[in-house]
Amino acid sequence: GAGQDVGRSCILVSIAGKNVMLDCGMHMGYNDDRRFPDFSYITQNGRLTDFLDCVIISHFHLDHCGALPYFSEMVGYDGPIYMTHPTKAICPILLEDYRKITVDKKGETNFFTSQMIKDCMKKVVAVHLHQTVQVDEELEIKAYYAGHVLGAAMFQIKVGCESVVYTGDYNMTPDRHLGAAWIDKCRPDLLISESTYATTIRDSKRCRERDFLKKVHETVERGGKVLIPVFALGRAQELCILLETFWERMNLKAPIYFSTGLTEKANHYYKLFITWTNQKIRKTFVQRNMFEFKHIKAFDRAFADNPGPMVVFATPGMLHAGQSLQIFRKWAGNEKNMVIMPGYCVQGTVGHKILSGQRKLEMEGRQMLEVKMQVEYMSFSAHADAKGIMQLIRQAEPRNVLLVHGEAKKMEFLKQKIEQEFHVSCFMPANGETTTILTNPCIPVDISLGLLKRETAIGPLPDAKKPKLMHGTLLMKDNSFRLVSPEQALKELGLAEHQLRFTCRVHIQDPRKEHETVLRVYNHLKGILKDYSVQHLPDGSITVESILIQATAHSEDQGTKVLLVSWTYQDEELGSYLTSLLKKGLPQSTP
Amino acid sequence: YRDLHTFELQAPTRLIEWARGNRVCVAGYGQSHGNEILQLIPPPTLLTKETQGLCPERDFKVECGGFSERPVYSLKYVPDTSLLVTSGPPDNSLQVWQVSAEDSDVIKSVSTIATENDTGQSWAKIATISARAPWVLHGSRLDRVQITEVESRKNVYTTASRGSEELSGLAFLDCNTLLLCCATGRLCLADIRQPQCLTEATAVPSAPCSEQWCMGTRHGAQGLETSSQPVARLSSRGLLILTDLRKTSEFLALVKTRVPSPASGAEFLCASWAPALEGYLAISGFDGTVHVYDTQSWDSSGREAEPIFIHKGHAFGGAGGSGDSPLVTVHTWHLQKPRTLLSAASDGSLHVWDWVQPCGKC
Repeated sequence: GAGQDVGRSCILVSIAGKNVMLDCGMHMGYNDDRRFPDFSYITQNGRLTDFLDCVIISHFHLDHCGALPYFSEMVGYDGPIYMTHPTKAICPILLEDYRKITVDKKGETNFFTSQMIKDCMKKVVAVHLHQTVQVDEELEIKAYYAGHVLGAAMFQIKVGCESVVYTGDYNMTPDRHLGAAWIDKCRPDLLISESTYATTIRDSKRCRERDFLKKVHETVERGGKVLIPVFALGRAQELCILLETFWERMNLKAPIYFSTGLTEKANHYYKLFITWTNQKIRKTFVQRNMFEFKHIKAFDRAFADNPGPMVVFATPGMLHAGQSLQIFRKWAGNEKNMVIMPGYCVQGTVGHKILSGQRKLEMEGRQMLEVKMQVEYMSFSAHADAKGIMQLIRQAEPRNVLLVHGEAKKMEFLKQKIEQEFHVSCFMPANGETTTILTNPCIPVDISLGLLKRETAIGPLPDAKKPKLMHGTLLMKDNSFRLVSPEQALKELGLAEHQLRFTCRVHIQDPRKEHETVLRVYNHLKGILKDYSVQHLPDGSITVESILIQATAHSEDQGTKVLLVSWTYQDEELGSYLTSLLKKGLPQSTP
Repeated sequence: YRDLHTFELQAPTRLIEWARGNRVCVAGYGQSHGNEILQLIPPPTLLTKETQGLCPERDFKVECGGFSERPVYSLKYVPDTSLLVTSGPPDNSLQVWQVSAEDSDVIKSVSTIATENDTGQSWAKIATISARAPWVLHGSRLDRVQITEVESRKNVYTTASRGSEELSGLAFLDCNTLLLCCATGRLCLADIRQPQCLTEATAVPSAPCSEQWCMGTRHGAQGLETSSQPVARLSSRGLLILTDLRKTSEFLALVKTRVPSPASGAEFLCASWAPALEGYLAISGFDGTVHVYDTQSWDSSGREAEPIFIHKGHAFGGAGGSGDSPLVTVHTWHLQKPRTLLSAASDGSLHVWDWVQPCGKC
């Protein structure tokens, strides 16, 4: 993506054979094909529906979902598209709004139609927070709360024991109407995080708000009117709560208005999605509707001509059409008035023009409008900064981190910071670049209880901090893995058990009789192997644990005795040891 | 206030240094390792002369950063180079770093300037100049002051002073003259061409209890401006002494300021002259406030002086509940905007504030 406000998000992840597309954003700065992601990266010839297992959209901002109708209806994709309920409700409104500006106002032709937006939304499957959704037998996804805007979510994508978490845009600090992002210690193999604000140290919200209120207050005090163009949802609610609180505290009398239709729509959505707002709002909502304000009333277009100070929230947000533009035209000529743009404006809109400094605008019908009112811009956008990113990584505990939306050479410091603090690898691919991350999938194996008991009984005691070496037989059958004792395995497989026995001949120089040699050997071994059971059997053989030693005379040389040392495969270690011990010979004087 | 911006750093800093291009540098001092050195680009509101209020870009941006193995107590840029020098416990050595913001955003550790090992907890105070070559003046005690060439690490000068008092600050007055301030309040001038010779300023009045002193000098791009600007000495009891360096045998002024006794001794005591406002001095380190004084009417009678302005923001900022109110660790003046200061506190807060001259004064 390019730039901080106009990123175009679209990430393709291949995990355990599944292909998932994360977000499908539009680049707001371009007017040609560059505004859409280049889908030919995915596949040159094949159908996208066959290649992709699903598409996930994180939230309703156009730089994350703006290209969706183009993608599904014009390029062609019929598979499932997942997003949260609020996103599904709000997306089509913003898409339609944007389509209107681009096609009707700017005269674009290669753009999606209203019908396409509707058809696209029919393919959407809405999900709830923390609900595990099975996309197919192996692929599952889960949404987590991301803050930022209503309905924004971070998604966990899991196939077997491999998983990826995609954050979309998120905010780690709560604001007046939304909570902070949260994720559990899901330990994904990879965490993909936006990092556009990673190098920013934010001015405190208090200062921002204080300056905003100061401007509004000053204008109203001198009898001017304040116009705040807003989108239907989002920052508008935040600012309403802010103004309401301020008006109450300062006992101000000037009226505040909210566009008709806006209030109803906003209330409708917020009531519907009350679980998506923050704790404080949920609590107060029980007592009274938080979005029914005491000082904020519904607007009527006639009010715009009323004398005296007032504040008006009107849509649409970029002053490109509708009520906000109408009001703007009425108020622009008076320098006592003020317009405060609360967010990014697309090129070509009146909002963009006045923010760039233009003060003479050509309106419809070749009418010139001179702008004498004060133009202010303020950004209350809620993104995670470096501290927030570190917090999220601390919460999720990923094995690898991938940062998107940053210039490579400007991210080196953050990359090192992450690597040093969490001892994980950090990647920062450029657009179009593929990053491969190796995972160590854990394969669960069932161990038979008998084997477990037997193995834990021998050798050192089990220690939580040290790995213990166990011996068993791995049976792989029908996608299940089992660890059993060899005997059990043989039984199940219907194989006969074979016993391996080794016999080694050791020559010893000893002219005495056999039974004397045996006695010498016996005493020698008994003296050395104090911890072992050494026995002299009546038939003339010696046993060391289960190892058998017998002595015979050499067939050709009476002075040499041959010791036969015999052991089973299980006693290999002791057997080898005994053999090498005996090879060293017997001590000269034996008691 | 005309303006007030509050920011929160991830870790508190005890230094704020200006760099070329209006950059600001801060560094962590808390942990035993993993402290970050951050070079920041201030928001456009601070770069322009006019205060804008609702400017779109209101945030500091981290331009580049480095990781220090030891806490960073002092940091100075080496003029005319892309290097900076830091110092901090556990010993007197200095660390040299390279900043190359265009190529990468990492500040790399380049070399270490070692000094003879010293007993005690001291860390070196530093000052830099690039007159004949990039030099760093450093030392923790009066008899251990040296000038080292930064790139070659060659020793250029060593003091031959008697007295092993701990230093609280040092500075270059020009490429030949040094100013050394001890924690006891002793202020000395040294000429590097004559190492044996040391001029002493009049001693501070002796105190009944232990008192620590620091000095405040005028910030300049290259060392200091010549001795036209008096040197301030601030004590942990709130005494302020101004000395004219042309007449070191007497006090220019001596006043008492009403400050609480600092909880952490003199660790964060800080005094500095306004670069763009004649005679204005700021002090901090006693609590969560920064005091601004107009020294033009002062004399050496020892009377109490009233501050023109007190910044209390840090005292209110705190996370609350912890009981410990934050302590201002350092402050500095903006180089161009006459009444703008930056201050940092022990809770990680960083404030940028522009105070208004109270009515009745011009």
